[in-house]
Amino acid sequence: MSMALLTRWSAPLVWLGLLLALAVGGEWLEPLLRWSEPEARRVLYPQADLLTLLLRHVQVVAIASGLAVVIGVGAAILVTRPGGRDFLPLVAQFASMGQTFPPVAVLALAVPVLGFGTWPIIVALLLYGLLPIVRNTLAGLEGLDPAIEEAARGMGMGGGQRLWQVELPLAAPIILAGIRTSVTVNIATAALGATVGASNLGAPIIAGIVNGNTAYILQGAVLIGLLALAVDSLFSRLLPARQ
Amino acid sequence: MIELKSVTKRFGGETAVDAISLTVNRGELCALVGTSGCGKSTTLRMINRLIEHDGGEIHIDGRPIREFDGRILRRRIGYAIQSTGLFPHWSVARNIGLVPRLLKWPAARVGERVEELMALLGLPVEQFADKYPSQLSGGQAQRVGVARALAADPDILLMDEPFGALDPITREGLQGELRDLQSRLQKTIVFVTHDMDEALALADRLVVMNAGRIVQQGRPLELLRAPADDFVASLLGGDDRGLKEAAITRVAERMQPLSLRLLPQARVHRDATLRQALAVMFREHADRLAVIDDEALPVGELSLRRIVGAGREGGSDT
Repeated sequence: MSMALLTRWSAPLVWLGLLLALAVGGEWLEPLLRWSEPEARRVLYPQADLLTLLLRHVQVVAIASGLAVVIGVGAAILVTRPGGRDFLPLVAQFASMGQTFPPVAVLALAVPVLGFGTWPIIVALLLYGLLPIVRNTLAGLEGLDPAIEEAARGMGMGGGQRLWQVELPLAAPIILAGIRTSVTVNIATAALGATVGASNLGAPIIAGIVNGNTAYILQGAVLIGLLALAVDSLFSRLLPARQ
Repeated sequence: MIELKSVTKRFGGETAVDAISLTVNRGELCALVGTSGCGKSTTLRMINRLIEHDGGEIHIDGRPIREFDGRILRRRIGYAIQSTGLFPHWSVARNIGLVPRLLKWPAARVGERVEELMALLGLPVEQFADKYPSQLSGGQAQRVGVARALAADPDILLMDEPFGALDPITREGLQGELRDLQSRLQKTIVFVTHDMDEALALADRLVVMNAGRIVQQGRPLELLRAPADDFVASLLGGDDRGLKEAAITRVAERMQPLSLRLLPQARVHRDATLRQALAVMFREHADRLAVIDDEALPVGELSLRRIVGAGREGGSDT
């Protein structure tokens, strides 16, 4: 691995390393946590080990964001094709409605239908994460230089060729920026899932609030923060440096 | 050969192109000129079906263009536009090779063709092949645009103000190159411009459009000498028409053989235009010029009377 490559990936590697170290070796921090909560009987979250919670957390966000990307990018592509243009305002409005709807409300509404557990939070995150993706994909596809579209058509490229070879590659940085926002926000929001029985990094936080134990809250919050930082800096390296 | 027979295009209630008829022969460069919004770009874009015509017929080599699939038709017709429309995420070589790849040429043949075209347009392969459009100057980008249009060796080339965004020096250079290319390749070219000097310098046939109709068409000299109406006359430069005529007439066409008289000091090249000859006379305060060839040897002489007066066919001069 060359030096330049190492420098380029150093920030995400540092955040990831820190995240894993804390998730695996939380016990070593007991003195530090003890200092934040000297009176409590225990300061390490006892219900499950942090690594499992972290993996569950990542899993929930990955499923919700993956679905949001497929649905969001797909919908934005469909409504910018000649056949789907009539639906553009509808899709744009639906996506912004999804974001104005508080995730807590979605959770409350989803539990009676989907039951306790992981599914309600996946639905809430999916709805909440759609807007940045739809909005940025629309902006990326609609913001292309008309001369490039004109040339692509004039050279005899078909609709699919224009989409895959020209439009999506040129819109990719803007679309990726939307996905980045969506994923980062969802990493934080996913903690709410713990209130309806999903086991993830929100669980120590909720337990800490219920029991008045700051040490629990700290463990969950710091890990969520580190996860968000790691993923966010990974995304910033994914965006092409060229152009 | 391209034939338009009473072709009409309406956008909503507006008639953008109104029953125009036009024939562009094989190997001919036809310039469409007119004010903005006169329908010249619309006419051009109907030929490769970027815009569908509403009425009339367009034939290419005798076959109506509606018989072809639009994409297939466009791959057979070169297309170059003012803003180049180069794909910013593709290298120069990849941009040029676009249409051959769409036509599924084998990769090796595409590569050869790209190198051939880059040589033809004065873009050294090792220097430019891997550059991206954002790294090119305006003139270089436009060369790449023309190379891309020529890539699949189409018989027909459509050019929409290709040099309109360039500075005057680069523009004149590229016009000269286009003229050279055309004399070698003999493409059928339809060229839209609002730069009258450019149209006069390049066109075999000049078509003046106004409000969606063709007002007059013919050889540039014919239009300059006999504009159909005031609109054509003013578009062609009003009183400047004479100078524009001088600008497209070569000294060699008007010079006389060497006489026994002493040759004047002031000299002009035989390939210069009459306009340049006039400029030399004005600058040197001379009414006679020696005409020289590439080796600077005198081959004839040119008098002011000869330039301004008896230039027309059968004109006599002493």
